[in-house]
Amino acid sequence: MKLPAPNALVGGALIGFLAIVASVSAVWTPYDPLRLSFRAKLAAPSAMHWLGTDEFGRDVLSRLMAGAATSVWISLLTVALAVSLGTVIGLFSGYVRGWVDRTIMAFNDALLAFPGILLALGLLAVVGANKYGIILALGIAYAPSVARIVRGTVLSLREREFISASRVMGNSEAFTMLRHILPNCIAPLTVLATSMFGWVLLAESSLSFLGLGVPPPAPTWGNMLAGSRPYIGQAVWLGVFPGLCISLTLLGINLLGDALRDKLDPRMRGAR
Amino acid sequence: MLRFALTRILMSVPTLLIVSVSVFGLIRLIPGDPASLMLGDLATPASIADLQARLGLDQSVPVQFGIWFGNLLKGDLGQSINSQQAVLPLILQRFWISAQIVLVAVLLASLVAVPAGVLAAWKQDTSLDLSLVAVATLLLSIPTFWLGLLLLLFFGLKLEWLPVVGYVSIAENPLAGILYLVMPIMTLFLHEIGVILRMARASTLEVLRLDYITHARAKGLTESAVLWNHAFKNAFGPTWTLIGLVLGNLLGGIAVVETVFTIPGLGRLLVDSIFARDYPVIQGCMLFVAFTYVLVNLVIDLCYPIFDPRVTAQ
Amino acid sequence: MNRLLVSAFALLGFASPTMAQSITVAVAADIRSNNPGVNRDDNTDDFALQLVEGLVGYNEGGVATPLLAEKVDLSADGKTYTFTLRQGVRFHNGAELSSADVLWNWTRYMDAKTDWRCTSEFDGRSGLKVESVTAPDARTVVMQIDKPNALFLDTLARTDCAMTAILHKDSVKADGSWDKPIGTGPYQFGEWKRGEYFTMTAFEGYKSPAGGQRDGYVGSKRPLLKDVKFLIVKDPATVKAGLVSGALDMADILPSDAVELRKHPKLAVAVEPNAVRHVFLIQTKDAVMGNQKVRQAIAASLDMDEIVASFYNDLGKPNTSPIYSGSSYFGEVEKKGHTYDPARAKKLLQEAGYKGEKIIILANKRPVVPSFPAAVVAQQMLQAVGVNAEIEVLDWATQLDRFNKGNYQMQSFSFSARFDPAIAFEQFSGPKDKQPRKTWDNPEAQKQIDKLYVTSDRAERQKLVDELHKRVIDEVPMIFAFNGLDIIAHAKRVQGFKPWQSKLRMWEVTLAN
Repeated sequence: MKLPAPNALVGGALIGFLAIVASVSAVWTPYDPLRLSFRAKLAAPSAMHWLGTDEFGRDVLSRLMAGAATSVWISLLTVALAVSLGTVIGLFSGYVRGWVDRTIMAFNDALLAFPGILLALGLLAVVGANKYGIILALGIAYAPSVARIVRGTVLSLREREFISASRVMGNSEAFTMLRHILPNCIAPLTVLATSMFGWVLLAESSLSFLGLGVPPPAPTWGNMLAGSRPYIGQAVWLGVFPGLCISLTLLGINLLGDALRDKLDPRMRGAR
Repeated sequence: MLRFALTRILMSVPTLLIVSVSVFGLIRLIPGDPASLMLGDLATPASIADLQARLGLDQSVPVQFGIWFGNLLKGDLGQSINSQQAVLPLILQRFWISAQIVLVAVLLASLVAVPAGVLAAWKQDTSLDLSLVAVATLLLSIPTFWLGLLLLLFFGLKLEWLPVVGYVSIAENPLAGILYLVMPIMTLFLHEIGVILRMARASTLEVLRLDYITHARAKGLTESAVLWNHAFKNAFGPTWTLIGLVLGNLLGGIAVVETVFTIPGLGRLLVDSIFARDYPVIQGCMLFVAFTYVLVNLVIDLCYPIFDPRVTAQ
Repeated sequence: MNRLLVSAFALLGFASPTMAQSITVAVAADIRSNNPGVNRDDNTDDFALQLVEGLVGYNEGGVATPLLAEKVDLSADGKTYTFTLRQGVRFHNGAELSSADVLWNWTRYMDAKTDWRCTSEFDGRSGLKVESVTAPDARTVVMQIDKPNALFLDTLARTDCAMTAILHKDSVKADGSWDKPIGTGPYQFGEWKRGEYFTMTAFEGYKSPAGGQRDGYVGSKRPLLKDVKFLIVKDPATVKAGLVSGALDMADILPSDAVELRKHPKLAVAVEPNAVRHVFLIQTKDAVMGNQKVRQAIAASLDMDEIVASFYNDLGKPNTSPIYSGSSYFGEVEKKGHTYDPARAKKLLQEAGYKGEKIIILANKRPVVPSFPAAVVAQQMLQAVGVNAEIEVLDWATQLDRFNKGNYQMQSFSFSARFDPAIAFEQFSGPKDKQPRKTWDNPEAQKQIDKLYVTSDRAERQKLVDELHKRVIDEVPMIFAFNGLDIIAHAKRVQGFKPWQSKLRMWEVTLAN
């Protein structure tokens, strides 16, 4: 029995803590995260409000807790959407090659060439400005990156001996693809997906910053951070804490992702 | 090689066509139009209709597209609704500003992050690796506008080293121009280090485990020779692709940094035009960004076989 | 180290805080053009009106008063206006103003090719028609309108018409295309770097109107600054940083920054109310909002003091009248509006048979308007009395589109400045089936508004305004909440500046060293 790697331990602890906070927020927060208090606007951290209050006098800690659930949920769903969409496209395109590949990649590149902001704005306007709009918009915006990387991996793997071997052994194309190529995509995809989790968290706050985010007053870390900017001089805590939450979450996710990749890597599996 | 390049260039034509059509359609799906925005709460239905007719927005979308596309083939991207400037010179002027920032930041970040990533992979699981990854992860996770603002407060206000607002073109005044670009470049640079370092590390790790590396080691090559001759070259391929992605994404994402530092770049032009529903500028910008992106990817793909001999260019 | 670099900047001419008599002002957006009244927005008008002048302009109280004209005489039948021009007024190129210039400008403005914003205001399409403009002599211009109109001079003076500016004909190139503004204003056009900055310099030959005091767009208008650079800075946090560092001498700031910047030893903050009216629009055609009792309940549930404070902190005051608080028509009647009474709100809801139907308030997050913060606070108060209120945040263009189509239940919105009460009411009143953007569709009230347009008698007008105000409060077709505030921070060495109706008038402003 080997001890888990340190990155798994730290990452697991951070993510575990996040999960606990997010779950607790469903039943209990110190204050109602939407409750305004006109007498306690922009109050500094104190015994009453551990992390201070915002420009409407709402308790920052309570909002962070509620925001944890929303932000994590949005990011997870977006990454899941982007990865599954992108993997299917990339695998198919890279494997069939020829004109089908070229057509798909033309579409893929076209989509990739859209700055996420425009795609998000367009889709949000059509779908409606809510968190599902964000998930759909960002999911579609990030899927092409996944497709490109998966296709790249497929292209370079096709030429390897073990793929030809599988074919020579009479395995069907689909089987080869699922059994041999897909597992080989997991390592680069894990890295990409973990980075993407970060991108989505950041993209959401950038969209808020440019005025297009998840509609407040429902708190997400992104819109809390974006909303803190005008008050940076008077109330640093407004931005510091959501920023810290995002950073720590990303740190945890990335560490966990690295540990996960070490475990899942097919070549490591073969060696054992 | 030449044939590959030609095929790729031909292949990008449909990509650009798809971009043109979808941008054209998408921005007209978004509610709100330039005429009513210009008139604000003063608008009467008659005055809006008047202005729309003057802007040519009263025709059906396919007709509008036909006119626009016809002009495009003649190299005319039209005129901005808001500023009445010709779109192409406007875009080129703004692009030059953004490109300076993006290229310098990504170049510097690659110079630092690729070797650092390889180093981290080589020393995997040591404290050096852990701290490099931790630094990269932290950098990656700080939103650029937040980072930019912190820099602004620190270097601009606290230390008074760098100018806080405005922009001076390098061509007009080289010294001042550079000083204005320091903070935006630094912001992007710090952020991109995180992205590129992680990818370089991951690709190197992958390569280090491959049989031929083991083989090279077994042949008795020194660790550094193995690292540079085999691992580094092979790991550069995927990282190279990622740098391409980063460049492309940055062109869209730079708007945030340009907004913080009030840099009149392409990103801000695009975002402003979206909010103002300045259709010709949005269309022009999007097509231009898409074109640049396709070009960057072409160069990346052309270089790919150089780094990864297993992929044959065809 | 930092001293060294800072002085290096001074040498480079960067923002040049040390250059005598020049100031740098931050503006949030670029001008749309330098062609007055053509391709414009408020920001463009503000710049244009430093450079050009019209026959009449608004005084501090929003009344059209002679500017390039020395006096304006109205005939007994109310249809002939005789403008006598001031003597010795010169254009920026040195040419002397004469009645021929007025005729040339009028012809240009009435030409559809000019695209003047206000052509339709004078050619009969909006009810008012100028039948002839003649110049009996070099100093006299006579304008003939088709029927008496209480708002003719007001319309000429409108800022969105760029005051019907009188330009020199060399402002236009030989081929008829626009070149640059050559006006009679205190400042002349400098240079314009699109997306970056625009500048103006003092016009040495400026002849100020009579009156020792600054008074709106009339009164004393001496250009005392050598030049003014308007730098485009979009981000409020950057603006604040620029003010503190001294790179900016003046800027419009967010209310939330006022307290902090006031404490700064080198900065002063000037606050003045303007005629912008922040409102909650209501769609009376909506199934739920159609019930007057529900609307009255909503009005009673809002604690306006807190709603103002959500954006302006302690700087602003509520005003639930359609008439802005600085107007000469804002009297005792207008001061009485909605009162905060949650108990009454609950009772009204019960009477209305409200059963928790969802009410969506549209808002946008532009930092310069209270749309979002006001909606957040209102939502909280509505929920407190049992209204199931939700907020939907849209981008401004989308929200405006919904406004123009009448497609909403409630909106947190702002009406741009209107000085005359007739126009202030016309802004939101009218038949919804013809103009879906109108919020108040009451034929009886419309008749009174139409009367305001033709009545010149001051007391008669006040009576109409009072009645209309009472109707709006009772029917609640929308809820007026408070007026806008101009909050301008400037370096203390910039002296004599006073914000007025969101315009950054640079005349009579001096720089102490």
